[in-house]
Amino acid sequence: MSELLPSPTTIAALAKIGLLVGGLMTAAAYLVLVERWIAAWVQDRKGPNRVGIPLTKIRLFGLGQPLADGLKIILKEDFTPRHVDKVLYAAAPLVLLAASLAIFAAIPFGSVLPPLGIEGLPDPIPFLVAPALDVGVLWVFALSSIAVYGVLLGGWASNNKYGFLGGLRSSAQLVAYEIPLGLGLLGVVLAAGSLKLDVIINAQAESGTWYAFAQPLGFIVFLVAAFAEAARLPFDLPEAEQELVGGYHTEYSGIKLLLFLVSEFLHMVTAAFLIVIMFLGGWHLWGVTGSGQEVTWLGAFLRFGVLSAKIFAVILFFMLVRWSWPRFRFDQLMSLAWKVMLPLGLANLVTVAAVEEFRPQLVEAFGAGPAGWVAVLIPWGVFFAGWIAAGLLTPSGTDNTPIHTHGPLDVEHELVEV
Amino acid sequence: MSPDGGLSIVGTVLAVAVGCAAASLWLLLPRGESGLRERAARRFGMLLGAVALGLFVATGHRLGGVGEEATFLVVSLVAVIGAAATIVTRSPVYSAIWFALALAGVAGVLLVLGAQFLGVATIVVYAGAILVMFLFVLMLAQPTGMASYDRVSNEPLLSAVAGAVLLGLLTLFIGRLSAGPPSCCAVPTKAAALAGANRPTDESDEADAASEPAAADTPNTPALAGTPSAAAGSSPTTHRPSPPDMLARDHVARLGGELFGRHLLAVEAAGVLLLVALIGSIAIVSRTPPEERLEARPRRASA
Repeated sequence: MSELLPSPTTIAALAKIGLLVGGLMTAAAYLVLVERWIAAWVQDRKGPNRVGIPLTKIRLFGLGQPLADGLKIILKEDFTPRHVDKVLYAAAPLVLLAASLAIFAAIPFGSVLPPLGIEGLPDPIPFLVAPALDVGVLWVFALSSIAVYGVLLGGWASNNKYGFLGGLRSSAQLVAYEIPLGLGLLGVVLAAGSLKLDVIINAQAESGTWYAFAQPLGFIVFLVAAFAEAARLPFDLPEAEQELVGGYHTEYSGIKLLLFLVSEFLHMVTAAFLIVIMFLGGWHLWGVTGSGQEVTWLGAFLRFGVLSAKIFAVILFFMLVRWSWPRFRFDQLMSLAWKVMLPLGLANLVTVAAVEEFRPQLVEAFGAGPAGWVAVLIPWGVFFAGWIAAGLLTPSGTDNTPIHTHGPLDVEHELVEV
Repeated sequence: MSPDGGLSIVGTVLAVAVGCAAASLWLLLPRGESGLRERAARRFGMLLGAVALGLFVATGHRLGGVGEEATFLVVSLVAVIGAAATIVTRSPVYSAIWFALALAGVAGVLLVLGAQFLGVATIVVYAGAILVMFLFVLMLAQPTGMASYDRVSNEPLLSAVAGAVLLGLLTLFIGRLSAGPPSCCAVPTKAAALAGANRPTDESDEADAASEPAAADTPNTPALAGTPSAAAGSSPTTHRPSPPDMLARDHVARLGGELFGRHLLAVEAAGVLLLVALIGSIAIVSRTPPEERLEARPRRASA
């Protein structure tokens, strides 16, 4: 019987899962509100500021809005159009949500808790659902590729040309941008020497050099690819509302639509987590959080706070970019992935590999302190070289001129104009 | 396992299971009939398939803990049922989805047995990249419809029997190799550890090689339990680790060391092969007919 009782490790894992899912869902709801506030601020409106505590006149800056929105969309009729493929139509949002939640099993949302002294629990307790998973980065990668199925199936099962086009665009875009995303990840994995995300944070905390400074090219490539993977503007072609109504979720309504929208926000949150953990030092901040594995309670919550603040800042950046850049055309999107990001990612990978391989020789030649600076300066040199090369070699990225064939009508038209 | 008596009982059960599996597959494979008879055949086929699965599970070894046992059974059943549904479904899109489910099951089996890298890599490579490409093409091709001869399977009887016999032989062979409880999940007794130590290396390699293709089809391939530790490069003389030990080890570093140490030549050869394929595909795609090349003009010619 004692075999059937859950062990403390199991209980701890369940508690972490509960906290994580609850936190993520609430965060997604309130991030929608933040996004609407920012949209209003950019467009010089007031935004949602009415809904507060019901049956009173207290408005609370509109903080009740997510609850009201959620209730409305949950209580809507769960309508299934007659022309859809019923099984896949119902399965698609579930696949997408499950995949985007399961990603967080391998993502640390803080550092470690100080020892609690409970028997059977590992000391210290990591802020990570699956600490024994040795392939954390790959797990994230695998599940974000599973998420493609949700979008693709949703588009196909809708049996609607807008939905279908959205699904096709999405799959092509996600498959294309997985490669620069992977190249950006590889540089970090190579430098940290592990696929575990918490080890990657520790490596940055110990050296004090965040990988955004040590691998600027990799950071840019990863950032762009993460925007594309999260399908945020300027890469939101799968659901470009001016062209495709709603893209792959055109035919969805009620709670199924809610699942799609929440997963979309979770994608953005995942992307922000990855950017912060892999390139912006995770929970590390110079002079504030320390860098060792020994923490006090205050230190543990300080690290959690620093990580959350960084993630929130990156999400704000995502939201501001949405209102700052126009959407790409599809061929521009593809040529950016294959002709610009892929070579830049490869250049970054080769640079990182070379620097890591010859680090002992660098230390021997320059001494321990300056060698660190040289190891940072070389990637910056490559970064500027790559930037200039990309600018010189692919100037047609924004060429929107229509293609003219010189027929008789065109000649006449030009004469009239002259 | 006791030498003769136990084996013959297992052999009989396996033979019945193989027969049931073959009949079930033959009944389930699409054969262009329609109506009530077909529907009855499908029902009966599903029943036989369930019987075959139950028999296969019954012949297998137990893994030890209740949790591991249940998880392993669920993921392996998902893998087997998904694989069977892949070949008996008519709609190519549904086939692809079932195949993805089968791959998820295989990845689950690998994860349960401790081969984390293989499990996740299966999803990344097959489900994430290759199958998405398949789906992409299938969905584009779907509106044109399919000819009737594309909707039936060729040689359903032969293929069902051949597949079921292969499955049974593999199960028997692997089961005989790893007689006794699989050492990865049970706490190793001294005798089991010695048995593992005395096993010749080439034999265990054979078991690994044989169990790889069977992973999708057999719910009980206990020899697979040996795969992670063998793939991770532990020499056969070391003691098999108990579960917490197994989870704490740095799988990826060991796998990388093995791949780029002992199997370096094979890895490099595969890399060169892929590069050649890549260049070849680019060469084929970029070959434009001469008349198109004449008409192609720079975009800004008119500006």
